[in-house]
Amino acid sequence: MKNIWVILKKEYLTRVKNKTFIVMTFLAPVLIASFYGGAIYLATTGAEDNTVRKVYISSNSDITNIKKNKIDNYLFLKAPVNKDTIYNQIEREEIDAWLDIQDLHVQTLDSAKLIVKKSLSVVQLSNLNKILRDEVHTELLKLSGISQTILDSTEIKGGIKMVEIDKTGALKRSNSELKSGIGFILAMIIYMFIFIYGSMVMRSAIEEKTNRIVEVIVSSVAPFHLMMGKVLGVALVGLTQFLAWIILSFGLLFGIGQFIKPDVGKTGIPPEAMGNNADLAGAQGFDFIQQLQSLPFGQIISIFIIFFLGGYLLYSSIFAAIGAAVNQETDVQQFMLPVSLPLVFGFIIAQSVVFQSPNGNLAKIFSMIPLTSPVVMVVRIPFGVPWSEVLLSATILFATFIFMVWVSAKIYRVGILMYGKKPTWRDFYRWMKQS
Amino acid sequence: MIQVQQIYKYFDDKCVNDNISLEIKQGTIYGLLGPNGAGKTTLIRMLATVTKADKGKILFHNEPLSTKHIPFIGYMPEERGLYRKMTVVDQLLYFAELKGIKRSDAKQEVKHWMNKLDIVEWADKKMEELSKGMAQKIQFVSTILHKPTFLILDEPFSGFDPVNADLVKDLIIDMKNQGTTILFSTHRMDNVEELCDQIAIIHQGKKILDGEIQSVRRSFFKNEYDLTFSSSDVSIPSHFNLANPVKTSINRSEYRVQLTESQSPQELLDFAYNTKSLIGFQEFVPSIHQIFVNQVSTK
Repeated sequence: MKNIWVILKKEYLTRVKNKTFIVMTFLAPVLIASFYGGAIYLATTGAEDNTVRKVYISSNSDITNIKKNKIDNYLFLKAPVNKDTIYNQIEREEIDAWLDIQDLHVQTLDSAKLIVKKSLSVVQLSNLNKILRDEVHTELLKLSGISQTILDSTEIKGGIKMVEIDKTGALKRSNSELKSGIGFILAMIIYMFIFIYGSMVMRSAIEEKTNRIVEVIVSSVAPFHLMMGKVLGVALVGLTQFLAWIILSFGLLFGIGQFIKPDVGKTGIPPEAMGNNADLAGAQGFDFIQQLQSLPFGQIISIFIIFFLGGYLLYSSIFAAIGAAVNQETDVQQFMLPVSLPLVFGFIIAQSVVFQSPNGNLAKIFSMIPLTSPVVMVVRIPFGVPWSEVLLSATILFATFIFMVWVSAKIYRVGILMYGKKPTWRDFYRWMKQS
Repeated sequence: MIQVQQIYKYFDDKCVNDNISLEIKQGTIYGLLGPNGAGKTTLIRMLATVTKADKGKILFHNEPLSTKHIPFIGYMPEERGLYRKMTVVDQLLYFAELKGIKRSDAKQEVKHWMNKLDIVEWADKKMEELSKGMAQKIQFVSTILHKPTFLILDEPFSGFDPVNADLVKDLIIDMKNQGTTILFSTHRMDNVEELCDQIAIIHQGKKILDGEIQSVRRSFFKNEYDLTFSSSDVSIPSHFNLANPVKTSINRSEYRVQLTESQSPQELLDFAYNTKSLIGFQEFVPSIHQIFVNQVSTK
């Protein structure tokens, strides 16, 4: 055990003292935030296609008279009578499409045809469908004698606000987007940490093997101790970095909270009323901070750490065995793909879980499977997961980790002294049986 | 001190150590000889507790060798390396701590060796900044820093420049004088004769001979004597058997004579003395190099 500690200390200190680590600890959150910010900005602005599409519209109804103006990016024009003229114009790309609606006075658009040269995307077509449906719907209402004034005055704005009852019976605002966001960020952190720190363990094993240090080390310590020292040392590096990030984020969060509060105080509006006051930007910000602060962070962080550690330990022990088995980093690929697939799959599941049903069956099943549970479970935490489920999942995860360490240590022990030919899965099995 | 008793080691179906037994006495230097691929490193790894035998026993002070003996063993493998990004001091302290030495004691030892080898100014340099020769010194120090009582050196002189090889040789002799038991494998027979008290030759996984170096050499003595004369006109009487081609040059001739059981060295010396041109007379005992080549090529 003492040797695990000596190795852990060395692995931890050499990494934490490294300048890259210190810089990345402070820079990574900024980089990630700006990357996501940039991506979101581009998605909302740059990615959108702003070209105006000219669409001829021909129908037996009045819609062509009404809709000659631009809606979103579509400019509807009355179609000429001659079909050939239309086709020619489409061919020459003077016109983007021809919307031919035979009968508009029915509640179906099945007879509508869109003739195009270049196909529209799924989103573009669905937008067009929505525009057309709304327009036809309005038309039908008008035909039934409902005036535009009534239509405008009955338009619904805003959406439902969710309110949760906590254990004490108190009501508080619940924000699904916020919870999804937090769940997603946590899953993302676990996913990234497993890959970043798992491959750190792997590279460390490869380095010792290729630099031929390992034989000296295993003459002093058991290979199992070497592997565990490495895995735990790197885990601590990850936790240190994570802790630094938590402190930084909390500092930032409460800093912003303090900054906004005095302004709101001056308005004299009680905080509970703020949720309904959508016109005040400051109040909105305060509302968000309040919702954020009302989340059970103690629970979220503790469960996160359990699954973060479990997931990391499970995967990094597998990565360590792979590192010990190969002769150089380029040999790693063939083993990495099948090992990392469950994690990638888990991440995809986690993404769909967040937006659909965080407590559905799919979510429950994959948060029990140890290779996917670290990412799937953390996505569910902000939505509230029964402790019994968390406990069962964590038990399965840690039991699998212990089993995997046992298997990996066997491969590690033999693999680390094997030089020469590129190992295969069969060799792994043979080494496992051999030791 | 160390007893290897009927050791077998297999890799898949290949037997790489086939019924090997050795006894290494305390405070002696034991040379393990053999051509490449003979199974020396496999045996050494078992002695260094890196791997285990498939069959047979290794005793360390009459106890089965186990990981509890690690602090008493120093091992320098043939394939060696150090952490390139670590400083000399950190590296040495790390290896010492792994051998169970307290950090404070390890610091004292590091200081002692730094002074002894005159490398104090290199203490805080990273390994990647050092020359190969310097790294070799550090490697050797890291092996003996914890004062092992049993030192295993696999090809200790390979890769060392002559200056460092001599330094290592002197350190090995020093350690022997302090009571350390040393086992080393080598291809360099001059070192074997110079350093070893005992040797074993391993070939194709089997031990083909072992014993004290002088008795091994004597066991190959074939009653042969070398004579050197300061004249090229000397002729050896026919009742003496010439063992080797005669080497003659102007004013010099050399003969090797093999005596029969009934002939005495004195008889040969008397003849040689009477020629009035004798300048050299000595018995011919094969060198370890000759024995090694002879044994390995005939088996």
